[in-house]
Amino acid sequence: MTTKKTRSVPPSNDSWVVIAADSALESTKTHDSEPTFVKLRNPATGTASQYLFSGGDVRVYEMKAFTEDCRSWFIGQTVQRDGKLLYLTPVDPIFLLLPYMQSDGVEGKFQPLQQMVMDEHYPGCMRLLKCTQALDSLRYVTDEKMMDNLKFHRYNHEKTMEWLKKKVWNTVTALRNSDISVGGGVKSTTYVRVKQETLATEEDYLRYAHGLISVYISEELSKDLLKHLQLPEITSPKEVEPPSKKRKLSDKPVEAGEDYTKFNSADFVRKPPKKMTAAQKTLAKVDKTGMKSMSAFFSPKVKQEKK
Amino acid sequence: MSGCVTVQLSSLNRADTPQLHLLPCEIEHDGSAEVSGFFTPAVKEHKGEKSVSFRGRGLRGQEVSCPHGYTGVVLNELQRPSSDEEDRIVKVSSVFHNFTYWNLETPPTSDDRIMMAMVWPKLADVIHAPVEG
Repeated sequence: MTTKKTRSVPPSNDSWVVIAADSALESTKTHDSEPTFVKLRNPATGTASQYLFSGGDVRVYEMKAFTEDCRSWFIGQTVQRDGKLLYLTPVDPIFLLLPYMQSDGVEGKFQPLQQMVMDEHYPGCMRLLKCTQALDSLRYVTDEKMMDNLKFHRYNHEKTMEWLKKKVWNTVTALRNSDISVGGGVKSTTYVRVKQETLATEEDYLRYAHGLISVYISEELSKDLLKHLQLPEITSPKEVEPPSKKRKLSDKPVEAGEDYTKFNSADFVRKPPKKMTAAQKTLAKVDKTGMKSMSAFFSPKVKQEKK
Repeated sequence: MSGCVTVQLSSLNRADTPQLHLLPCEIEHDGSAEVSGFFTPAVKEHKGEKSVSFRGRGLRGQEVSCPHGYTGVVLNELQRPSSDEEDRIVKVSSVFHNFTYWNLETPPTSDDRIMMAMVWPKLADVIHAPVEG
């Protein structure tokens, strides 16, 4: 068994294990085109990320990677050295369109979509205008006007904030229904982690949901949304996570570059700012290794204490 | 358009359905191995918990299912293009609905990062669903 600490050469095989939304790989009778990976501008970072359009560009998906050190696959009767597990999940095309709606050139003016959504670096962005969800939902972030049978759009910040707020609340509901702990749950060998963290407050959920949504919007929108949710900005969050977390992978979706095998690495969420209650602070002093924030679940493996 | 990667859907029907194991070690090899000859027969199962001895180390495993509405696929690129400009094609070589996740010595629990990662599709579905007006 090899337990090398660093991977000197990237795996040379050309296969990927993916957990994909069924709708992404559906063959449609009405569209003869096949699903296609395309580079688009990442709305949070402005750099290139890989997305997948379903056949006929009806829906758009993103790829995220789950990686741990020292993992390999057995696939049937083969070994795959690269133990990465990819997730292909839907993306709301509005997130990807918002930067174009907001750009300096078009803000404040009513314009046809084709003129707003233009990008010489990412010509694939035009495909977003075919997505059903984009066409259905643009009215939540823009004002619309019909002129000569042509639809014109203008970015509307208040509408966008309301739309984002609804996203956050929907996410809060989903978080409450999942067994993800958003508070500072204590984990140790003697305590069994309970499903719902009793320590998690409404604000913990809101902040965590805000963090999840912020991965898909610009820094400015993220700050405005925080205000809109009436959550104060946290200036200096106390770092209680192990140093391995400092790698800060979440908000840096791996650049698409020349190789589409490089998908967003390890963790999936922009680290939500941490707020500690007095009780949590006390706990932190007692058992630092036990403190586990949400993002910890999606970040590099923490040294496991022997049970 | 150049630089696109197309997924050949017709390959989905011909895809095989192998067993997948995510191992807690890096094996410096890509290619065939006698998994069914040496690994699979040694796997023991007791009350849903699996164990196996692999190269003298005890592995503890658990079956992980794909979330509802999701299917596991192995994408394969048979031919790498010679230039960046060329369009690329990937095929679906395998399909799976569950896999076995193995830990070294300790049994997998719901606190394992993989278990949390398996929650992601459900969360993503909600985050990216259309918002009701």
